Amino acid sequence: MIQLIHVSKSYDRRVALFDVTMEIKKGEFVLLMGPSGAGKSTLLRMLIGEERPDEGQIFVQGKNVSRLKQSEVPYLRRKIGTVFQDFRLLGKKSVFENVALPLIVQRSSEADIRRKVMDALRAVGVDHKKDQSPNSLSTGEQQRVCIARAIVNGPVVLLADEPTGNLDPERTAELIELFKLINARGTTVVVATHDPHVMKLVNRRVMTLMQGVLMPEQRGGDRVDA
Amino acid sequence: MRWLWYLFRAAWANLRTNRTTTVVAIVTTAFTLACVGIFLLSYVNLRNAAAWLQEDIKIIVYLDDRMSGEETRELEGKLKADRMVTGVRYISKEQALGEFRAQFPSDSHLLEGLGENPLPASFIVTPATGYQSPDAVNRWAERARTMAGVAKVDYNQEWIDALAGLIRYIELTAIGVGMILSAAAVTIIGNTIRLALFARREEIEILRLIGATRAFIRIPYFLEGAVLGACGSALALGILKLGFELFRQQISSAGRFQGIENMVSFFPLSICVAFVAVGMGLGVAGSVVSLRRFGEGRG
Repeated sequence: MIQLIHVSKSYDRRVALFDVTMEIKKGEFVLLMGPSGAGKSTLLRMLIGEERPDEGQIFVQGKNVSRLKQSEVPYLRRKIGTVFQDFRLLGKKSVFENVALPLIVQRSSEADIRRKVMDALRAVGVDHKKDQSPNSLSTGEQQRVCIARAIVNGPVVLLADEPTGNLDPERTAELIELFKLINARGTTVVVATHDPHVMKLVNRRVMTLMQGVLMPEQRGGDRVDA
Repeated sequence: MRWLWYLFRAAWANLRTNRTTTVVAIVTTAFTLACVGIFLLSYVNLRNAAAWLQEDIKIIVYLDDRMSGEETRELEGKLKADRMVTGVRYISKEQALGEFRAQFPSDSHLLEGLGENPLPASFIVTPATGYQSPDAVNRWAERARTMAGVAKVDYNQEWIDALAGLIRYIELTAIGVGMILSAAAVTIIGNTIRLALFARREEIEILRLIGATRAFIRIPYFLEGAVLGACGSALALGILKLGFELFRQQISSAGRFQGIENMVSFFPLSICVAFVAVGMGLGVAGSVVSLRRFGEGRG
C-alpha cells in the first residue's frame, strides 16, 4: 500500500529524513513515533504529495508519488484521508458543510453527500452536532469532525498527524479506539505521534524516527488491543 | 450540483466579505474604463464623421478653356463610363459665374473688370461606393489629371487628410491610454481579489489538502473578477451615457454648434456588449495576476 525506498529530505542544511525505507501493507495500523522534529510530519506530507523527496521514491497504491505531476496530486489526495493536529475546520461553515467538503470537490451528487456525511458523522459520534459551527464544539468533538471529514469519501489510507496532541488521556484512548474501528473496516491507518502513551494503546507495528533516521521496528501495546 | 452551488456561493461570499473594497473596486474601475470610453466614443464619432464626409466627397475636374463642345462631350462620356465614378455633372463657364455671384454677392465686382468670364467650365464627379477612400480618390485624381482637356483636378483633400490624421492620432492615443488604464483596472481588481484570497487562505489550504483541483479553487476568484469587471464596465457605460447626453444638451443650447447634436451618437449595442465583455476579461485578468502572486495552485 505504502512504500518508501531510500527516501531523504533536507531543508537548507537540516536533515528531515535520511535514507528511510519502509513498507506499510494494505489494512495495516501503524504508529509512527518520534519526538518533535524527528521527521514524522515531513513523511506524512510526502505521502500526500505536499513535499517531494530529495532522494528516493515513494509509492502509494502502486503510484510513484515522488514523480506525480502537479495536476495528478489532487486525485492522490482524494484516496488519502488526513487528520490534522490543528483540525483545520472552517468556523464559518457548519459541521455538516465541513465534512461534506471532500465530496463537494469531487462533485458528488447531493444524495451521496447527504448519505455519506451522515454516515461519517455517525461513525465518529457527532451526528447530532451537524448543524453547529465547529467553533462551538469541544476539542474532542472537533477532532472527531476532522476524522469524519478524513473518512467521508472512503479513503484507502488514513493519515493522522499528532491527533492526540490536544486531548486528555481518556479522550486519547477513545480516539485510538475510533482509529482501530476505522482500520477494522479495511482502511490502512498511519498515526504519527510523539506521545508514548499512545504506543501502549496499540498492539501494532511501531516505527520510530529519530532525527530523520528510521529506528528498528517495535511493537506497541501493553494494555489494550483491538 | 452542490459543487456548482459551492463555487457560486464562494464567489458571492468573497464579494460580500469585502463589501467596501468591492464597491470601491467597482467605482474606480468604472471611472478608469469611462476614461477609456471617452476616447473610444470620440474615435467612433470621428470615424462616422469621416465616413460621412467621404461619402459626400466631390471631385472637381476643371476644363481647359480651349476645349471644343465635341471634346467636352467626349470627356463627359469617358468619365461616365468609368466604374470608379457614380455621377458626373457639367458646370459651364456661365453656370460657374452664376454660382460664384450667388455664393459671394459682395465680391462679384471683382470679376467685373476682367471683361471675359475667367471661371473655367468643370465636371463635378462623385466617386462610386468603394472608391471613396482618400487613397482611391487620390489615385483617381492623378489619373484624371492626365486626361486630354483637363486643366486641373481639385477636391477637399486637405480636409480629408486632416481628419484622417486626427483619427489616427486619437486611435493611437486611445490605444495607449486604453492599455495604461486597462492595466490600472487589472491592478485595482487584482488587489480586491487578493484581499478575498487572503481572507479565505485557510479554506484554500484545506481545499488543496482534501483533493480540490486548481480549477476548483480558482473558479470563485475568476467569477469574482468577472463580476467586478462587468459591474465596473457597465457603470462606466452609464457614466459615459450620462456625460454624452449632457454634452449633447450643451451643444444644442449653444447656438453656433446647432445641428451637431444630431450628428454625434452613443455606442451601438454591439460596442456596449463588447465593452462589458472587455471589462469582464480585465476582471478575470486581475484574478489571474492575484492568484499567481498569492501562490495558489501549488500541488
